[in-house]
Amino acid sequence: MTVSTDYTAQEIIVVAGAKVLEDKKIVFVGTGLPMVASLLAKRTHAPGLIPVFEAGAVGPPLDHGLPISVGDSKTFTGASYLKGLNAAFELTQRGFADFGFIGGAEVDMYGNLNSTMMGDFPAGYQKPKVRLPGSGGASDMAASCERTILIVPHDKKKFNEKLSYVTSPGHLDGSPNARFKAGMQGQGPYRLITTKGIFDFEEKTKRMRILHTFPGETVESIQEATGFELLIAPDVTQFAAPTVEEIRLIREVVDPNGVFVKRAAK
Amino acid sequence: MENSAKMFWTGLSPDEAREALVNKDKSMKDKRMTLKEAVSRFIKDGDNVGIGGFVNIRQPVAITHEMVRHGFKNLTLSFQSAGMAPEILAGAMIAYPEKFNIKRIELAYWGHEAFGLSPAFRYLAERGMIEIEDWSNYNMSARFKAGAMGLPFIPTRGPLAGDVKNSNRTKIMDCPFTGRPIGLLPASNPNVALIHVQAADMYGNCIIRGTDATCAEIAMASAHTIVTCEQLVSHELLVTNPKDIMIPFAAVDAVIKVPFGAYPGACRRHYWFNGDHIRDFTSRIATMCKAGAPDALKAYYDEYIYGVEHFEDYIEKFTTKQLIADQAAESYNCERLA
Repeated sequence: MTVSTDYTAQEIIVVAGAKVLEDKKIVFVGTGLPMVASLLAKRTHAPGLIPVFEAGAVGPPLDHGLPISVGDSKTFTGASYLKGLNAAFELTQRGFADFGFIGGAEVDMYGNLNSTMMGDFPAGYQKPKVRLPGSGGASDMAASCERTILIVPHDKKKFNEKLSYVTSPGHLDGSPNARFKAGMQGQGPYRLITTKGIFDFEEKTKRMRILHTFPGETVESIQEATGFELLIAPDVTQFAAPTVEEIRLIREVVDPNGVFVKRAAK
Repeated sequence: MENSAKMFWTGLSPDEAREALVNKDKSMKDKRMTLKEAVSRFIKDGDNVGIGGFVNIRQPVAITHEMVRHGFKNLTLSFQSAGMAPEILAGAMIAYPEKFNIKRIELAYWGHEAFGLSPAFRYLAERGMIEIEDWSNYNMSARFKAGAMGLPFIPTRGPLAGDVKNSNRTKIMDCPFTGRPIGLLPASNPNVALIHVQAADMYGNCIIRGTDATCAEIAMASAHTIVTCEQLVSHELLVTNPKDIMIPFAAVDAVIKVPFGAYPGACRRHYWFNGDHIRDFTSRIATMCKAGAPDALKAYYDEYIYGVEHFEDYIEKFTTKQLIADQAAESYNCERLA
């Protein structure tokens, strides 16, 4: 397999996201890069992947290309079940979703995500410094899917000890059984994919832990770009660079119009 | 019971919602009228307005244009995820604050997904110009469902931890049966629902293609419902398969045939997104946010909304080539024999 030499940070996120997905599982897919990664997985190692979109579509083949919204018509064609939002979230609440796949603007060491606001909560809630779009279905997926996969571009400003606002609950404060005690279901964050590597959450402490470094990154360089202390897995390995074929699939088949995966400036 | 916020009802309380239906004429009568008539008869200043669709899919865009032309004050907007409908109402408030005013929003998401963030939401929120109540998509959907079921609240496992529940009227109690924590959400019973559908008959029976979103729940929960439709068909054709009827006539007060009524958003079987127009509109609001320059935004309203009498005059401003391309893109998504 020839290794790609011109892949972008977003493209390696997509390749890593696809590889984390398992064939024949139900994955509740959030908007943006999770949709691209799910489609790539379906076109490569996981043809039996069953995507669910919160507007209601269950298991569409996605033969008409990348949806640009989780309510896009492309998610409806060929779906095995299609109702509305209540029905979709009832599926996750009931336990039909093996994975939830979501993004956020800010993450902490326990995999809690913020997609609501930057500023001071609750004092500055009605006049935030920066207002983000809000939870959408992300907090529901985080609360009720069995396991969640997170995507956050790596940036010291986005990897913080304390979030401005916890939109999507992860492992909360990391204390034993924190999610269960709060009344939630599911095991919480399973993997985090960033522009620098792949992380899991250590079993006892529930803290973010480096599993794989992306090419060009080291444990040190990743720690340097993170606003809290990371744990390091005993056997950290380097994630293989995307192949020419994987990058071709993203650029020509999965997201040919650059809807979510922006083209590198030439 | 954990009780972070003081309880109050926006729109109708459950008892008021019941009362509204008891007193309503539920006969099967011809409800066709103009959009102008529907908006002036069924929407009032201070109303809680439930918005149908999902992000930029089947948004009630034509109804929001007419609302802007009419002018309203102190509105509450309730929706799960929305794009163009609140953007158009909020853009009017930003460009012409004396003509249009939103007091409060109850929402899960306001943005445009692949077409970007909502600059109007940023503008109003970051200046403290509107009251905000954040929920999740399932929270808002379940709140409309409770309203539609005639219940005062609904239990869900929505986000039971994190700050969403601290931003709204969720109460968390120990379930009387399992002893485990469960979230209770107050019903949402808007004064009026704004819904765009693929097909309706003159009595207000509606067929929806693609996602149902939460349109049926919002319509059934609200005191009044305004429906715009791509196709107005005979009652006999509409009821060919009664199980296809997503919203029944008794929940609907006004039916208006408005082809492209969700444009530049998408409508299953009819047209896909016109992303360029969505971006052009939001970029004008973004210019206002960054530079405080309202000219481009005002020009949009002057040309496309205040400058026309009817939504069809707005649609006429697009080239035939553009409209056909957006229809063709959707035909590709759901190939059907003619």
